Amino acid sequence: MIPLPYYLLISAFMFIMGVIGVLTRKNAIIVFMSIELMLNAANLSFVAFSSFLGNIYGQLFVFFVMAVAAAEAAVGLAIIISIFRNKATVNLDEINLLKW
Amino acid sequence: MNSLNFFNNLGYAWPETIITLFLAILVIYNLVYPQARRALGIISLLGIALALGFTIQQMWTQFPTDPSWLSGFTRMLIPDKIGIFFKVIILIATAYVVLFTEFSEELRGTFDRAGEYYALIFGMLLGMMFMISANNFILLYVSLELVSYSSYVLAGFMKTSERSSEASMKYIIYGGVASGIMLFGISLMFGMTGTFYYFDISRLLMMININSVLFLISGIMIFTGIGYKISSVPFHFWTPDVYEGAPTTITAYLSVASKAAGFAALIHLVRNCFVGAVATDGYWVMLSHFYWKELLVYLAILTMTVGNLTALWQDNLKRMLAYSSIAHAGYLLAAMSVLSNQGLIAMVVYFSVYLLMNLGAFFIVILIQNKTGSENIDDYNGLGTRMPFLGACLGIFLVSLTGLPPTAGFIGKLYLFLALVDAKMIILAIIALLNSVISLYYYIRVLRHMYLTKGNNESPITPSFGSVLIALSLAVPVLLFGIYFTPLIEWAKTVVLR
Amino acid sequence: MDLYLILFYFFAIITLVSAFFVVTTRNVIYAAFNLMLTLFGVAGFYVLLGADFIAIVQLIVYVGGILILLIFGVMLTNKITDTDIKSGFLNRVPGLLIVGTFAGILIGTLLKSTWRIAAPLPPPVAGLVGIGNLLMTEYTLIFEILGAVLLIALIGAASIARKQSN
Repeated sequence: MIPLPYYLLISAFMFIMGVIGVLTRKNAIIVFMSIELMLNAANLSFVAFSSFLGNIYGQLFVFFVMAVAAAEAAVGLAIIISIFRNKATVNLDEINLLKW
Repeated sequence: MNSLNFFNNLGYAWPETIITLFLAILVIYNLVYPQARRALGIISLLGIALALGFTIQQMWTQFPTDPSWLSGFTRMLIPDKIGIFFKVIILIATAYVVLFTEFSEELRGTFDRAGEYYALIFGMLLGMMFMISANNFILLYVSLELVSYSSYVLAGFMKTSERSSEASMKYIIYGGVASGIMLFGISLMFGMTGTFYYFDISRLLMMININSVLFLISGIMIFTGIGYKISSVPFHFWTPDVYEGAPTTITAYLSVASKAAGFAALIHLVRNCFVGAVATDGYWVMLSHFYWKELLVYLAILTMTVGNLTALWQDNLKRMLAYSSIAHAGYLLAAMSVLSNQGLIAMVVYFSVYLLMNLGAFFIVILIQNKTGSENIDDYNGLGTRMPFLGACLGIFLVSLTGLPPTAGFIGKLYLFLALVDAKMIILAIIALLNSVISLYYYIRVLRHMYLTKGNNESPITPSFGSVLIALSLAVPVLLFGIYFTPLIEWAKTVVLR
Repeated sequence: MDLYLILFYFFAIITLVSAFFVVTTRNVIYAAFNLMLTLFGVAGFYVLLGADFIAIVQLIVYVGGILILLIFGVMLTNKITDTDIKSGFLNRVPGLLIVGTFAGILIGTLLKSTWRIAAPLPPPVAGLVGIGNLLMTEYTLIFEILGAVLLIALIGAASIARKQSN
């Protein structure tokens, strides 16, 4: 069997990749992808803990997170479209009417 | 668990049930009568009034002191009076925001989508109600996301306005990151404790030895999600942009209601996970796994200082009020950092006052924006003589936000300082005092522009009767509680001490 | 070297490499496809961890739903003929410094931590049945709120994305 820390390290790696993506990328859609990476990292560690603790609640949370993430993707896409209509760009450094 | 049990348990969630019901009514009514915009506002007010009635009635309900025995889904809700207090605050704020919408000119272009506007407000309201009473990390996460999604869309509701959709974009990116970090923190917490219930976690913390560094990391990550809702400093970057770009009614709503929900969630998290017992003098005996005191003190100092100093050179009034709301979050965090019942009383008093004065200030900003089409401070020149009544009201709210007597803001600050001094946190009290002095400059600057600078236009502006009524209903209590504050304090004591 | 180990390392390599490329590639479409591989890899881990229901939901919701939405986003905001869907990097140095520190602390602690788990337990009771039972009993409330979340997301997305009618 694979010990628990292996899964956690993979999850931590994905999470950190997500944070790096959010901080360094300027395309809004890639930033959303990075956020999905962060959510998936959390989900992976939930399922790993759930399985190693013999406790179903972690899996339950993952189920909720997936539904919520789907909603987030829908709202995010709608906002991207709305801003694209106004400014014809999704690059975050061209979205600068308000000071960052 | 049988179905009967379900309906018995529903008694704990009547206000939330009513809000859900009215959310459905609003959506269906809008489908049947797409043109009836006024009626939607009236239905919303009706729903809020009903929910408010049931919430206030819960004040007198005898709840079990140890909710851990509860069965079914009520195990997830913390039925205590501090939660009920914050629910009342949120319901009142929602009612005012629905009223403000009637007066907002900038939302006129979106009136064909009024049904969606009210439905989203009700969705946000529902999320905040559950966020306040959450006793379970899953419930906290899901309801926080419900609040977030509604507010993302509401912030970008004027979709033809570039500023508005930009605000919405920035909001969703920061929000998505904050909730992702929070989720990872919750997963670490789950790994260490194997449960999502606050009460179970606190019981476990008393018994077993937990890896403290990892616990610290996960605690800070969980705080990120809440800190972003209350716009505490390292997580405040979205606040000025979103507050400036969003429709002003929504800005007012975010600055009061969503902050109230965040603070209530924070109070419940700290009090139910990390407090071992309450000593006889009202101080909380903390479990030694997390340094809440240090964290909150440093965050409070940072938050109020950054908020106040940045507010100094803002020329847009909405942006200035955004930084001022960050500063107020700092004062509230300072009250929280006392970690005692006195601190909680100070928070309750402060928030009741903050509700009135902040909503009032934003309402006047909406009315002035209707006439001048701008929130820039230079366009406020000479407004004091053009609209004497509204100018006086804005004066009252701004003086109260500074915390000067004879307004209610002074009472809020007074109780905050009393709680800090009582806890021997003199340095924090001095820093808060200095911050209040700084804030005097930028609040009074607005009044100087209004009364001492001559404007280009001299024609008087007469406000409508309805707006005068609403402004009075906010300004009179601000003055009244500044002079006769005993009922407010007594109420805060019953809320906190049961 | 049994099959389980081989599968684990296989999924691990897929996940780590593709997650890296999601963040570093300059082309949005490549990022989307790399994200798909990451999601597949994570679904593989779910199967290895005995969470088969979650693995299937992962494939249906993430790969079938969210990823498609994101690709729609790419297509709607870039003209198809426009090949220049490149995206650059923004404020790299301070961000990477913060993340580096954070990553060091996080991974260090994760490695050093002792978990309350002595030995890996057998996978929990049949995932689907357990989750179904919980959703209908203890977690009914959250399940209902989830309905409200989806309704609000639907209303909000439709409201903000459709063209302004005059």
